[in-house]
Amino acid sequence: MSAIQLTNINKFFGQKSSRVHVLHDINFTAEAGQLSLVIGPSGSGKSTFLTIAGGLQTPNSGSVNLDQQPLYDLSAKQRDALRLNKIGFILQAYNLVPYLTVREQFGLADRVKKQGNLTVAQLDALLHQLGIAEFQQKYPAELSGGQKQRVAIARALYTNPDIVLADEPTAALDSTRVKEVGQLLADLAKTQNKAIVVVTHDLRLRDYADQVYEIMDGKISKTA
Amino acid sequence: MFLALKEIKHEKLRYGLIIAMIVLISYLIFILTSLALGLARQNTTAIDSWGIDRIALNQDANVNMSQSLLTKQQVPTKLSRHEAYLGQVPVVAKASGYTKTSAQFIGLDAHQFIAKNMQLVTGHKPTTNQEIVVDTAFQNAGYHLGQWIHLNSYGQRFKIVGFVKDAKINIAPIVYGSLTAWRNLKNVGPNLIASAIVSQNGHFTQKNDQLRYYSTDTFISKLPGYSAQNTTFTFMIAFLMIISLIVIAVFLYILTVQKLQNYAVLRAQGIPAKTLIGATIGQAVILVVSGLIIGTLLTAITAFGMPASVPMTFDIPILSAVAAGLVVTGVIGSLFPIRMILRVDPVSVIGG
Repeated sequence: MSAIQLTNINKFFGQKSSRVHVLHDINFTAEAGQLSLVIGPSGSGKSTFLTIAGGLQTPNSGSVNLDQQPLYDLSAKQRDALRLNKIGFILQAYNLVPYLTVREQFGLADRVKKQGNLTVAQLDALLHQLGIAEFQQKYPAELSGGQKQRVAIARALYTNPDIVLADEPTAALDSTRVKEVGQLLADLAKTQNKAIVVVTHDLRLRDYADQVYEIMDGKISKTA
Repeated sequence: MFLALKEIKHEKLRYGLIIAMIVLISYLIFILTSLALGLARQNTTAIDSWGIDRIALNQDANVNMSQSLLTKQQVPTKLSRHEAYLGQVPVVAKASGYTKTSAQFIGLDAHQFIAKNMQLVTGHKPTTNQEIVVDTAFQNAGYHLGQWIHLNSYGQRFKIVGFVKDAKINIAPIVYGSLTAWRNLKNVGPNLIASAIVSQNGHFTQKNDQLRYYSTDTFISKLPGYSAQNTTFTFMIAFLMIISLIVIAVFLYILTVQKLQNYAVLRAQGIPAKTLIGATIGQAVILVVSGLIIGTLLTAITAFGMPASVPMTFDIPILSAVAAGLVVTGVIGSLFPIRMILRVDPVSVIGG
């Protein structure tokens, strides 16, 4: 059963003569336990694809289903709740809250989502798996780029989401870290049965993906 | 509150400066309010102590007791126990070795309720026309019981036989004496009975076209400079409140602009807008309450060290109301950036 399914998605920006067709009849499916890669250059529409898949931006036509549930039939408030419970975001610029320590980054989710988050033991295990257990009392400004990205990954996984959407998670990392993050995401998909979707222009991540889509000028195609 | 507290704890200098600003504003507001109350009280403490509800003055006095003169023909032959005559005349008190003191002489009939109800701090009530009871401001200036003083250029001296607290009208200390002494100081004949009739009866009236009757509130509001002074202070305090609202709103607006990226991420993660709005309002309340606590401590220290001659009254209920007003102002100030939080677009943080 697909964890996330986009069917005939079209998205336009602008009006009349300045109207741009950003996504053309996008069809995409991601399964639990798989790392799915959507590769494309800048301006190809991959970020728009991600925001529509995550319920942040309404498509002009088509449908997005999460666990068979039509995402855009929900109200904005219900989509907020769904994102909190079912989707984890990993962002290119990490965007950790600067005045919260690594440990406190997870505490915020606890205050909003009372149930279903990782237990203390599970979180400790995750932080060890990500190699950031010793940084729990540090602030984001005290971490390297790779460490911040791993904290961002941990934050995305803390609410125990079924789906993880990652936007250029390796953009600021060196080759060694790219390999580490690629392997980590692939392992997390397998061991925790998550559907992980990564949009990137980093071809080095192909080696870790279970399925690869290419997006070009708003059109998507699955590659072998 | 979690986010608000964590941010303040992490950004100590930034929030410390904002709190310092609120401390200064609240301190200034407290001091000005106390000064306004003190001056207002010094205008009216004597009137308050008389416990009167109505005052009758000459129709041509323009609601000014010191300009009013009542003749024998204008006043009733006998007053009830709820009415009393008052004779007011401005005087300058002099005694060798002391600085001259401007005061208001109030002549009383010893058998009427104002003289009877007078609460002395020390000494006794006047028993002759040459005896006077004076406000404790004279005591603070070094005058003592049994001291003889001159009033204006009147030839005879007066002996201080008692001190009375909170006896001030129009900020000037009062010298209580007899109505005969008042006539002598005013240099008027026996046909003039007093400046005013005051009454504990709010409906007191006499059949005489030349008298005008005023409520105590009206009489106080017409005291020279009283309304102008109070209005000035009220405006100053109101403007300070508005300034504090603007300061808080501007600071929170700038801080919110700086945090929009973080808020967009949190919104993308599904953190509800109400959590972020709660953090902003919580932050405003923490900042204002912290500032108020320090401002209150500074005000208390100031009150402790302030000389008695400075007309300041630290009225806790009124200052508490002012403090509550500042908290409300802070919350209103925090509402301005909320529009931005509600409109923050999570899409803006995706796509680098």
